[in-house]
Amino acid sequence: MSAPGKTEPTEAIARARAGDAEAWGELYREFAPAIFRFCRRALPTREDAEDATMEIFMKLRDKLIQYDQTRSFSAWLYKVAANHCWDLLRRRKTRQDKETGDLENVPLEHPDPNQLEKLIEQRTSEEVRRALGKLGSRARMALVMRYYSDMSYDEIADALGVRRAFVGVVLLRARHELRQALGETSVLAAGGAS
Amino acid sequence: MNGTDNPSADRAADRAMEHLDEMTCLLYIERQLDRGRAQEVSTHAQECGVCRTLLRAMERESRLLTRAMLEEEEALPARLAQFQERARRSLQWIWGVAFGLAATGAYALYTSYIEPWQQKLDQAGFGGSNLLNLLIFQGAFWKGWQSMITLLEVLAMLTLGGFGFAFFRRRVRRGSVLALVLAGFCGVAALAVPAAASVTEFRHVDTAEVGPGETIKSDIFLFCHHARIDGTVEGDVYLFAQDASVSGHVKGDVIAFVQSLRVSGQVDGNIRTFANNLTLTGHVTRNVLIFAEVMNLDATGKIDGSLTSFLASLHLDGPVGRDLLFFAANANIAGPVGGGIRGKGDTLSIRPTAEVAGPIRYEGNNPPDVSPQAKLASPVEYHKIEHKRPYEEGGYYIWQVIWMAAFVLFGLVLFQLMPGFSKEAVGNTERYGASAGLGVLVMFGVPIAAVIACVTVVGLFIGISTLFVWYAALHYAQIVVGAAVGQWIMGRTNETWPLIGRMAVGVVIVRLCTTIPHAGGWVKFGVILWGVGAISLALYRRFQPSIAPGLPSGPVVPPSLPANTTIGGVQPA
Repeated sequence: MSAPGKTEPTEAIARARAGDAEAWGELYREFAPAIFRFCRRALPTREDAEDATMEIFMKLRDKLIQYDQTRSFSAWLYKVAANHCWDLLRRRKTRQDKETGDLENVPLEHPDPNQLEKLIEQRTSEEVRRALGKLGSRARMALVMRYYSDMSYDEIADALGVRRAFVGVVLLRARHELRQALGETSVLAAGGAS
Repeated sequence: MNGTDNPSADRAADRAMEHLDEMTCLLYIERQLDRGRAQEVSTHAQECGVCRTLLRAMERESRLLTRAMLEEEEALPARLAQFQERARRSLQWIWGVAFGLAATGAYALYTSYIEPWQQKLDQAGFGGSNLLNLLIFQGAFWKGWQSMITLLEVLAMLTLGGFGFAFFRRRVRRGSVLALVLAGFCGVAALAVPAAASVTEFRHVDTAEVGPGETIKSDIFLFCHHARIDGTVEGDVYLFAQDASVSGHVKGDVIAFVQSLRVSGQVDGNIRTFANNLTLTGHVTRNVLIFAEVMNLDATGKIDGSLTSFLASLHLDGPVGRDLLFFAANANIAGPVGGGIRGKGDTLSIRPTAEVAGPIRYEGNNPPDVSPQAKLASPVEYHKIEHKRPYEEGGYYIWQVIWMAAFVLFGLVLFQLMPGFSKEAVGNTERYGASAGLGVLVMFGVPIAAVIACVTVVGLFIGISTLFVWYAALHYAQIVVGAAVGQWIMGRTNETWPLIGRMAVGVVIVRLCTTIPHAGGWVKFGVILWGVGAISLALYRRFQPSIAPGLPSGPVVPPSLPANTTIGGVQPA
């Protein structure tokens, strides 16, 4: 899950575990922007993301001792962040969750490949980010975990508390929600292949 | 791939019937299919244009998603960039509030309690010796402790040093700095100890005595089972013994922690004692302060100053030169008192031989038994102590409501002033073990440490401030637990105002529980322990953050990103 060509900050981690404040500073400088963006995508407001970023790094101080150095630090960090954000969202029991819960039982319509392709071509990153904000907590969280932090299906299943086999369903439904938010679902569904 | 039961149908129609479903496409592009199934999908996509288009569209959708998420359209907020600075400021803020509270508290304490009390004492006839000044502000009370400073000061310095070390532990990395700090402490201690030891004598044996012809020019400390002062001590006497007698001449004060103390000699200074019993047949030139079970002032004994006593039983046959203040279950006054008397207890008996020059105010369970032959300046002013169960009084409930409202208001202000800290404290209540354990430690440890810290001049301010913060925390604890209870009932929330609503509901419930007869006190105790622990945990975490300063304010480092954002193909075996 680390960026290609990027080495793990092994030395800084070791020093941070020993209580070195400078090492913490290095880790924070290196990872805070990424974690903030992760939280920004996963949580509804900027303030939430700021709070969550700080809380995650506070939590990290306690948890760093649990980090297995044979594994990727950034992967572990994203896992902590995902758990924190999901825990936060779950605690809120937002209305979106209830709505999403109702949607779980709605069968998905098969998209028209040409219409889908057209939709993807027409949409900008900015529009996608705006549409992401309209999704339910779980859908947004799943997409962020998969397409921002590149978490595996196992990790997503673990963070969301669902069976691994269900992760694909969650992601697919999230994509459908996103397409709907982008305002083209009806067009796509109309030309669905049989 | 969908199956079909119609092998004779048109090949194109068959293909149309066998189009890949969207889930299979997703799992394929995400490399989640096993090798065999992925191969089938790949083969089908080569032959089927519709499915190939769908796969391509979904791949592009994945890329669009990744691109949209990874784009850095927002700079890292300054608040995050200055995380360390903020943490440091928050620390200063805590200390600022602590000192502010302490100063306000000290002023309020003085104006609300000390000053009025002082005035009342003056008006009550205790002005002659001015007990409050005697106890607190004049040198008499503190004088005796100056020589003990060597032991207590070192202890206090070690305590403060411990706090300092714990606090700066994460900030002080270099051994040399740490060594310097420790060396500083050692140096101060080294300077303090010999200077005091040179003028003080310590005797630590089973039976310690100052013989009849012996003269001690300095203070003396006696740690023993049996202590005797038959000679002369020109300084103060400190007694830590099972039983002690002073038949000689002490020119300073006598400070005694003994089971049984008998003073038959002369004490030019004061006597201050924590004892089981004190028998005084000698002469005390100044004042006596006693915490004991029984005190007897014999007819041959004499106190020129005032007597302040906290006892089970008091017998005064000899004269007290000035005022008498007593809290005693049973008081018997048969000797002359040069000032007034103020007392509280179960019974008071004033014998025929008693002579009291000032007013007598007595609050007790029984009316005083005053002999008509006793010579009193004025009749005894008696107030009966009323023992009424609080639950039986209407005002009790009104006050409970007022207290509830006050707690909710206090909580509202605190949650608004420090929402992050409050949320953290409320969240910590779920860590039951840690909260309870830390609660016990803080509840009992902090006041002890604060009192020890008060021994030094510098520590006095820190100690008093700490005590005020600790006292405020006892109340804040009930609010934190109230918020936790509110969350149990109404569900969790991370928003400030909904949390305040839950806090209000919870505080009312907690306060109601604490008013339950008999069990309420224990409930309150438990709530305070739990809440104080949760607050301490939150405080501990606030003290902990030490992210290095100088963080960049803009987007600097690209995140560790998805390595495989492009897709398709068979999962490696």
